[in-house]
Amino acid sequence: MLEVIIVDDDQIVVFIQKKMVTNHEIAINPISFHDAAAALDYIIGEKQGKQRKNFLILLDINMPNMNGWDFLDCLENHEEKSNYHVIMVTSSIDNKDKKKAKKYSTVRSFIEKPISTSDCEKIKEISEISHFFERV
Amino acid sequence: MRKSSGELKILVIEDNPGDFILIEDYLSEEHNALELQRAETFKSAKEILQASSNFDTILLDLSLPDINDTEILVKEILALSNAAPVVVLTGYTDKDYGAKTLSWGVSDYLLKDEINASNLSKSIHYSMERKKVQRQLYESEEKYRTLFDSSPLPMWVLDRHSLEFLSVNQAAIKLYGYSREEFLQMTVRDLWAEEGDRIEKVVEENFHDLFTVKVKHFTKGGDTLYIDVQSNPILFGGREARVTLAHNVTEKLKAEEKLKHSQQRFKALVQDGSDLIKILDENFYYAYVSPSSKNILGIKPENLEGRDAFELIHLDDRAKIQEQIQYLGKKKTIQLPSYRYRDGNGEWRWLETIISDLRHDPAVNGLVANSRDITKFKLQEKQLRESLERYDIVAKATSDLITDYNIEKDVFQYSNAIYDIFGYSQNELRASKKWWQEQIHPDDRLRVVEATNAIYERGQKLLSIEYRFQCSDGDYKYVLDRSYVITDDSGNPSRIIGSIQDITERRKYINAIERSNERLREIAWTQSHVVRAPLARIMGLIDLLKNQRNNLDNIEEIIDNILNSSKELDKVIRKITNKTEEEF
Repeated sequence: MLEVIIVDDDQIVVFIQKKMVTNHEIAINPISFHDAAAALDYIIGEKQGKQRKNFLILLDINMPNMNGWDFLDCLENHEEKSNYHVIMVTSSIDNKDKKKAKKYSTVRSFIEKPISTSDCEKIKEISEISHFFERV
Repeated sequence: MRKSSGELKILVIEDNPGDFILIEDYLSEEHNALELQRAETFKSAKEILQASSNFDTILLDLSLPDINDTEILVKEILALSNAAPVVVLTGYTDKDYGAKTLSWGVSDYLLKDEINASNLSKSIHYSMERKKVQRQLYESEEKYRTLFDSSPLPMWVLDRHSLEFLSVNQAAIKLYGYSREEFLQMTVRDLWAEEGDRIEKVVEENFHDLFTVKVKHFTKGGDTLYIDVQSNPILFGGREARVTLAHNVTEKLKAEEKLKHSQQRFKALVQDGSDLIKILDENFYYAYVSPSSKNILGIKPENLEGRDAFELIHLDDRAKIQEQIQYLGKKKTIQLPSYRYRDGNGEWRWLETIISDLRHDPAVNGLVANSRDITKFKLQEKQLRESLERYDIVAKATSDLITDYNIEKDVFQYSNAIYDIFGYSQNELRASKKWWQEQIHPDDRLRVVEATNAIYERGQKLLSIEYRFQCSDGDYKYVLDRSYVITDDSGNPSRIIGSIQDITERRKYINAIERSNERLREIAWTQSHVVRAPLARIMGLIDLLKNQRNNLDNIEEIIDNILNSSKELDKVIRKITNKTEEEF
């Protein structure tokens, strides 16, 4: 199964993203974290419990304490990284960030805030996870 | 017959008393002063002749009791006669026999039967006279023989037809190294050191005449002789011969050759040499000018000779020459300061001149001036000076520090900018490479040393590098060091010329710009992240309101959030404005 996690320190952003993700049927009940470190702990803890779980992570870049890049660095060193599918969601329209994001193998897409309907449709078409959204 | 005057001393060798008395009578008839001595035997005759040698005539009877062989008798008496004529008296009538005795050397031959006072006296006188002439002839011949033999000039006599040697003198033997016997086996052709045709022709054409000819001869030892031959036709012992005088001119020719070479050398030196040689009289008028003046000055020597030497010297240079030549007489040679001289084209040429005082040398009787054209050198000197001046001016005009580093000696030379820029005075400097590197900021030093190694290890010619350099007060200044490497003949770096520019001001300015850029980047980042965060929120919330209104529980809350986000956005924008207005 595919678990959706929203990582952003902004309450309102989390609210908007939850609404969008549920309304577009990407996830029924996405989990959210205001702190990247907590999200990381959760993901690694989950992995120890149940086997072969996939995560779709909507990740903000600019956060206090651990930012989005630090989070990606930690994932990059992880054995099960092919099960992590990160969507960078940022308010930045800086191209540098986009380029930097492409260097991480876990990053599947890059979305500029606010997340839109078409962004949600595109998420479902990402090849690595599209099979989770096929209607049976 | 006239009675002869003067005492006559006669030896009569006669055994016959009757014959003796007869002879005595005949002689007394013709002579007043007569001293007769008689020898009766061969033996006593010999004794008389050995004791006394001043007989004017000897009368000899051939029939003596103590000797039978008349030939021995005659020859012995002749040998003892001491040049006195011997007249033979005999009873034989055989004329041939008389002739025979004549061939032995007797002066006359008289038959006793035919003797009378008159013919006896005549015979005695003729014999004496003949003997005298003979002696004179002999003495004369002897004199000439001596002249020939002991002449210091080599001489010889040749057969006029065969050119065989008939006689050679001592000087010829000495000169040619052949013995007399060897010479007499040779012809003169054996001496010739060249094809004989020319000489044969001369000899043939002057067969009966005197001729002179120059020839080349070989000695026995193979040395070459140059001979002036003078040859006269003579009769020698009845043969047609010629006497030749061989004048050895080898040494003379060698000396002439030497003189000729010496003259040619001198001519070459004076005429074609690069030096201009002049002889001046006491008033500095040219007495002689060497032909090289044509090449050097483009003026023919004859156009200078007789003229004032100062005439063509540049007016501005005359005074300094005058100053030097006043020492003439005190110094043997004087080196004049270089001066300008107008050449044949009216151009100035620089000359360097040495004057030698040879007024006391009668062969010269003047001052010898030896000049060299140094125009080219002067031009180069001028160019060099200008180039050095340019360097000095550049070094002064530029605010850059100019360094000249001698790699082999490990010595730096600095322009005065070392003080202006860094505060080091020239005399407190330690000019080594080590010192220089020590003044480089520690953070820059390794980088600079490595870059410098490119010059030594990889043959790099140009180096341009920035670093900080410590001033005398301990502060650092930023410099741009541009160095150029000069290589020696074998291509190895020998010197490094550096131009060190103080870029502290520029560096500070750049640092300021960099700082301001940093701030601008910060603003841009803020725009990208901080500004867009509330905006994105607003956009997201409005999107929800518009498209998801039916799924929303609390619309009031959303509108409040929109308002809050708008306020936040406003705050951010104000902050940016404030930051932009900050002084850089």
